[in-house]
Amino acid sequence: MLQHIVLFCIDRFRGERSLAAIDHLLNGKKTAQTLQDSKWYDVSRLFGMVPIDRSRLFDVARALEADGFISQVDEHIYCTTASGKEKLRRFILPPYIDGWKYMNESSLFWKRLSLLIQTIANIIHRTSFEPIHRDEHIQSFVKRWLFQHTHIKTLARSLYEEMYELLSYVEEKDANIFVWRLTSHERIGWTNEQIAYAINEEDVAVLLSFQNVLHFMLEMTEKEAEKFPLLYSLRERKRSQLTSSAQKTWELLKEGYSLEQIAQLRGLRKGTIEDHIVEIATYIPTFVLTPFLEESKRKRIIQQARQLKTKKLRAIKELLPDVSYFEIRLALARWEREDV
Amino acid sequence: MFDILKERFGYDSFRIGQREIIEDVLNGQNCVAMLPTGGGKSLCYQLPGYILNGSVLIISPLVSLMEDQVQQLRNRGEKRVVALNRFLSYREKRDVLRELASYRFIYASPEILQSPLLIEALTRINISLFVVDEAHCISQWGHDFRPDFLKLGLLRQTLGNPPCLALTATATRQVIADIVTTLKLDDVKQHIYPLDRPNICLYVQYVQTVEEKITTLKHLVAILPKPGIVYVASRQWAETLSEVLREDHRVSYYHGGMDGEQRLLIQQQFVYDQLDVICCTNAFGMGIDKPNVRFVIHFHLPTQPEAYWQEVGRVGRDGNESIAILLYAPGDEQVGQTIIDMEFPTMEQIVYALNALRHGQKETGLTDVQQRLLLYWLEQMDKQEHIHTLAKQLYARMEQRKKEKLTKWIFMQRWVTGHTCRRRSLLSYFEQQPLKNERCCDQCGAHIHANATIERIQQIQLRPWHEELRSMFAIKVGNK
Repeated sequence: MLQHIVLFCIDRFRGERSLAAIDHLLNGKKTAQTLQDSKWYDVSRLFGMVPIDRSRLFDVARALEADGFISQVDEHIYCTTASGKEKLRRFILPPYIDGWKYMNESSLFWKRLSLLIQTIANIIHRTSFEPIHRDEHIQSFVKRWLFQHTHIKTLARSLYEEMYELLSYVEEKDANIFVWRLTSHERIGWTNEQIAYAINEEDVAVLLSFQNVLHFMLEMTEKEAEKFPLLYSLRERKRSQLTSSAQKTWELLKEGYSLEQIAQLRGLRKGTIEDHIVEIATYIPTFVLTPFLEESKRKRIIQQARQLKTKKLRAIKELLPDVSYFEIRLALARWEREDV
Repeated sequence: MFDILKERFGYDSFRIGQREIIEDVLNGQNCVAMLPTGGGKSLCYQLPGYILNGSVLIISPLVSLMEDQVQQLRNRGEKRVVALNRFLSYREKRDVLRELASYRFIYASPEILQSPLLIEALTRINISLFVVDEAHCISQWGHDFRPDFLKLGLLRQTLGNPPCLALTATATRQVIADIVTTLKLDDVKQHIYPLDRPNICLYVQYVQTVEEKITTLKHLVAILPKPGIVYVASRQWAETLSEVLREDHRVSYYHGGMDGEQRLLIQQQFVYDQLDVICCTNAFGMGIDKPNVRFVIHFHLPTQPEAYWQEVGRVGRDGNESIAILLYAPGDEQVGQTIIDMEFPTMEQIVYALNALRHGQKETGLTDVQQRLLLYWLEQMDKQEHIHTLAKQLYARMEQRKKEKLTKWIFMQRWVTGHTCRRRSLLSYFEQQPLKNERCCDQCGAHIHANATIERIQQIQLRPWHEELRSMFAIKVGNK
């Protein structure tokens, strides 16, 4: 795979760029030159996709040269030979990879997704765990995200269905690799290198399979956000942006429909609309709570939460039997916001 | 005190020394404490954190170590903990500083404690305890000298001399004296506990060639109870040996060249017994508290007794019988020499670095450690001097340090080729005596026990993705 990738780049660079340019491209060096090159020579999909040592790149180039696929035109500059072109004819890049497009987003999305799945798997199996990502922001994102959803079993089911649907589109091998990288309640995720050894594949091929699935997920959740609302909501978005389904609810609310009417109109459960409203309260600062939560109740909830030093719904509910879980979540959603 | 021990930390009793140290800390006494690795040093300041009013400031040299500690506290439900290091963005730092007083535990790297903004914020809050972890980094006689640590004495003064607890696992008397002077600890109580770990058998296995080393390693890994750690001197060796061993066992490598995510995966696989053996450089092990590691094998002789003892200390923390084996072949004396040579810059490299610094370039071509040292010495010199004069002075100091390192290396060589009790001679370096040992070392007649009764941990198989996914989300088969 790595041979093909390097050959592919050499071919695209047409003897006008040295191996150093390929090194920068594959490692995703964010310099003006590299950014320009990757567009100009149409290799931007590989931007940052194969982070390897320069010495390894040189080894590959030497091997390609020895086999007659490339020939040197200048120091560290190569051209594809006829047999090199022939070799490339049967090669296609993994179809969904787009390092350029997703360079800022894919790693964040992966970290959130993998930590979320680890958390859900451990909650439903009642096992304790150590988060697979240390980054505090990732951890608090996942915590906040989970807070917006009530029933963990329903959530697990829906996330499973979204994942299942997306993974059935891609090659069996790619889907396997992606899932093996995930950490669950019973298995810590495997590294690229471990997977490569287990299935007797090149490490670069495994890495590209993984990225292929990841980028496919990003593409699909963008194109069909409504079909994959949970995965979509893991993507980086601005504060004001809502999941598309919550966005619709928000539009209807602004038109003056009540919670019950919206549920009926959209053919959704009342609980789902409540989830939306909590989400809206979290993200839309101008959203007014009072139609759903009286100010006096809100104050009592916050006071209770402060005293208990907890955001655990049940603990608050026990002391305030007259308020609903929905009301508690609403109060806390806004409190969280003001907290920040 | 016992209630907190039980409630917060889940322990029924203190380990050796902990209670005495904690009592002194609670009385506002300055302390230097040397506890063996895995002896529960962090409890000595974490428990007081729940009794004292104000914040505990912990200075720790390694970011990864800091992260491990913070995560452990968070796992115990502690929210009022923060780690300040160079990976924080400006905004995050600002937010943290604003609420600094609300944290019970503030971890900070010595680099970040150079920031005037942070120091200012620290002076405004109540620091109940000033903890210096890995305090041997203060001393240039220690095995991991960090010039930044020297400024901690001044920092402590700036903060109004809060009570101080300096912790280390390996220090000679000279290093402890350095710690006391540098931190300006008046009226200090020293808690020096035996470094010896009687449940670890020390064993040196001589072989003739590198090939024989590898076959011996394979044999040992096959017969010894697992899990275990194999320490090597380079990244390349970690990968090579992992490749050799993984045919028969669940083995992976770990070194500083891997990205953070992959490193954490390997570390957790090991902690959760999903790996039998880990082949690694000295990058692995800090902050990992795994009680049931049964063996550590050194494929190369470490260059310093402190480092060796620390790595040995990662086995048998549960108190059960464990073994540390060192493989030694003729020619190994070269390895250490090469490592030490590479640690120090040549005259040309120093001149190059000085030129780069003068022109405000960041790339000095030096390693982190070299650069830290160079900058520290440079501060004491007249920077207006001619570059070559400076370089000469710096080179002389480097040479001096190299000599000190070589002395340690020679100690290690004598130790490994000697014919006296391994334990006694190694502990003599720390001016300590061995405790009573039944299975002491190869020189005292101990043998390597094969343990066939240990059951093989069941391999976790990789299943097709849909099965994995169903299992993760607890979806019953047949539903979809």
